[in-house]
Amino acid sequence: MMKKMTRRNFVQTGALAAGALGGVSLMPGAWLGLVANANGKGYFDSQFGVTDAICRKLLETALSKGGDFADLYFEHTISNYLGLEDGQVNRASGDIDLGVGIRTVKGDQVGYAFTQDLTEKSMLAAASVAATIADSTAVKCAPQFIAVKAGDYYPVRTLFTTVPVSTKLPVVQSVNDKIFAKSKLVTKVSCTFHDQQKRILVVTSDGHKGEDLLPRSFLYASAVGEKNGRKETAGWNFGGRRDFSYYTEELVDRLVGEVMGRLLVAFEAVQAPAGEMPVVLAPGVTGILLHEAIGHGMEADFNRKKTSTYCTMIGKKVAEPFVTIIDDGTNAKQMGAINFDDEGIPSEKTVLVDKGTLATYLHDRISANHYKIKPTGNGRRESYRFYPQPRMRNTYMLGGPATAEEVIKGAKKGIYVQDVANGQVKIGEGDFAFYVSSGRMIEEGKLGAPIKDMNIMGNGPKMLLNVSMVANDLKMAEGGAGACGKGGQAVPVSFGLPTILVNSMTVGGVKRQGA
Amino acid sequence: MKKDMLELCAWVIDQAKKAGANESRARLTRTRFVEIGYRERKPETITEATNQSLALQLFVDGRFSGQSTADLRKNALAEFVSGAVAATRLIAKDQYRSLPDPKYYQGQAAVDLRLMDTDYSRFSPEERHRLVKALENACLEAGGQAVISVEAGTRDSFSEQAAVASNGFQGYREMTDYTLFAEMTAKDEGDRRPAAYDVAVSRYVKSLPDAAVIGRSAAQRTLAMRGGKKLKTETLPIIIENRGVPRVLGGLISAMSGPNVQQKRSFLMDKKGQKIAGDILTIVDDPLIVGGLSSNLWDNEGMATRKRTFIEAGVLKDFYVDWYYSRKMACEPTIGGPTNLIIPPGKRSVEDIMKDLGRGILVTDFIGGNSNSTTGDFSVGIGGFLFENGKPTQTVAEMNIADNHLKFWTKLVEAANDTWKYGWLTPSLVFKDVVVSGV
Repeated sequence: MMKKMTRRNFVQTGALAAGALGGVSLMPGAWLGLVANANGKGYFDSQFGVTDAICRKLLETALSKGGDFADLYFEHTISNYLGLEDGQVNRASGDIDLGVGIRTVKGDQVGYAFTQDLTEKSMLAAASVAATIADSTAVKCAPQFIAVKAGDYYPVRTLFTTVPVSTKLPVVQSVNDKIFAKSKLVTKVSCTFHDQQKRILVVTSDGHKGEDLLPRSFLYASAVGEKNGRKETAGWNFGGRRDFSYYTEELVDRLVGEVMGRLLVAFEAVQAPAGEMPVVLAPGVTGILLHEAIGHGMEADFNRKKTSTYCTMIGKKVAEPFVTIIDDGTNAKQMGAINFDDEGIPSEKTVLVDKGTLATYLHDRISANHYKIKPTGNGRRESYRFYPQPRMRNTYMLGGPATAEEVIKGAKKGIYVQDVANGQVKIGEGDFAFYVSSGRMIEEGKLGAPIKDMNIMGNGPKMLLNVSMVANDLKMAEGGAGACGKGGQAVPVSFGLPTILVNSMTVGGVKRQGA
Repeated sequence: MKKDMLELCAWVIDQAKKAGANESRARLTRTRFVEIGYRERKPETITEATNQSLALQLFVDGRFSGQSTADLRKNALAEFVSGAVAATRLIAKDQYRSLPDPKYYQGQAAVDLRLMDTDYSRFSPEERHRLVKALENACLEAGGQAVISVEAGTRDSFSEQAAVASNGFQGYREMTDYTLFAEMTAKDEGDRRPAAYDVAVSRYVKSLPDAAVIGRSAAQRTLAMRGGKKLKTETLPIIIENRGVPRVLGGLISAMSGPNVQQKRSFLMDKKGQKIAGDILTIVDDPLIVGGLSSNLWDNEGMATRKRTFIEAGVLKDFYVDWYYSRKMACEPTIGGPTNLIIPPGKRSVEDIMKDLGRGILVTDFIGGNSNSTTGDFSVGIGGFLFENGKPTQTVAEMNIADNHLKFWTKLVEAANDTWKYGWLTPSLVFKDVVVSGV
């Protein structure tokens, strides 16, 4: 409840976020069709009898007391999990979720209800509840539904529900065996494989309809090691909107390499410094910096309510001309990729900062209507239990003119951030923080001793002005466990960053400067 | 609905047995809730729904899986159960998996926890709107000219839970809760727009504080955040406000969890019986508080709950261990995680302690941060107030504390008398000689 109601927006990249995904493929054969039936019916029509006529009836009930707009969001999600502990894949779990959310919108007011019982009676009752936000006369629904313009950013060749446990199991087992084979220092390994397929149907009162199948999966491993009485742990994951073909032996080897590289270096880590200093961010998952420092603040609900520090800055110079920041729903197989958003708006690439100038907020239908502009395809929700909000997709900075070496050299003395576990922002102040699980000291323009476990803080607008160098090596995060939280809803997102130098941020280590 | 829910659980257990499960446990949860949010003196959101889910734990030929579904149509459930049993057969055996020994089901405390408000059915839509309006109005009035935005809300819910295990457990409980919430964003210097909130939660509508008090407090907390500055790095005493204590304490509790201890991801794994904190730190878990927000006569596995002490005067007494990890660790089970976690309060108010300390930082806000449960290292951003001569003199933002839990909790010198009521029952805590890093 507290999380739901507070504006503490946060993101996690690791297995901590894995709770959002459940566990074993259980659905009987009839439910496993990859595409809609040959007779042209959609998935929800063929499986649950959700016809256009019923949708129209529900929408008209939702608008029976007036309102500007209503929509339906049907969802059927199957999640699976396999877990290895103490050497064997000895736990599995599965979750089936099913329901419809019905929303009535009047200006910026929302009436919302959902039901898990897809009978007409139960759905009509939910539509009547949503309708209560309005209090005038009935409004008509569009006579026909036109297909939403959808991308194809995560084609699914094989459904997870058709991949037997016996096929997934050896992949998970091999991670364990390969990690133990790498080093005698390893004392414990845990490994999990999560997969999810989410089918949605969005139908809107202004006459749009879209069906999609969204895959999501990741392979996570962590290892604990002991060396001279010192105990350390490290973990990593690969994933995204990917089907099972992604999880090859080569990927397992890469995962094992990432985990072991981090574990072995952790034994060499020195105390992290404390205080203000130059910070270089390595490319990849460090893009969380953008997610927190600017992304959330650019979500248009915070701006139409004037609660974001960015609410007066559109058109203003916020960074050097070599800084361009994008939120993009079209990156193939990235966690934040969507073929259309949860309000039936086509996915797109939205420029937040265009060559140093603040360009566009991230909109859902309500905020786009408020600003009288086109929505940007950022209306997203965790599930049918929630109404959509403006949310990020994949947020990244374009590469700049420098090389990574030049950027590190440019920092002279400071720290180099490699892995980021989680972050948080205060929208109104613009203050943000992210937690560094591994990095390096920078001494005399070169990478030095490893450091870990420190919080780094800054202020969004100040940090942007402080981005003084950008390299030409943009890399997107490759994880699949990441989730962004806002208003009690978790949605999958991704990030990317080239190597960049921020002149000054507050590093929360334990070793005082000069001490 | 008690009878229907228990019958459905029993039917699922029976289906699991027919499909070949040796043992199983089913738990059905149903929650009806209403949420109302106001902004600019009108409803911004109204949500009302019933959420249901059935969770099923299966023990099949020494193998285990946990399944859940929101699709409760009988034919769908039957296929769900048989598919789940078949899938469970495919994974590795685990000798430690079983339902709890039924002796742990026995001995439930003879106390009526009164988790259900007898007034719930009389809580009307009009009353909900009256409460939200009162929250919003008080916050707007107290915020005055500084207000940029105020959001106020209520949520109330009625939940039922039924559970049946094939080796003899059967339980049913129903509970209500009510939440009042207000958040304000204020004008400040430049582009800074600080926001803060206040909240109250109760099992009974009658026990909720006056909505106007919560609304006013949200405004006062926000106004106090204005003018936040980063100070020079300094070693000084800090007081962590009652409601913020879990943010740091969570890192210690996480290292006390059975899975982390057994998997060697805990800096406390070999510290049972040892002193790990100052004498002031006692941690009690009491699931038997009448009307408590996490009170329960039986836990998620059906085991009877009781009051336990996990840390006593700084000595680590026990870990949070469920049935499975108790078998792996060859120890007695306690409970899988905290219920009503209590740190006993001290005698003095925060104000009196501040006067006594003279100079320090009162921490009322956190940002980012995390804790490494394997090593005990943590680092988290803080905000609050610098106090001098016992009085707040400067709002503090964007500073940080970093330490190792094994050192940090030995710096604990006092608990205040102001136990937080709406989550873990923690008072404000005073720590000496903490490095607070800033400029």
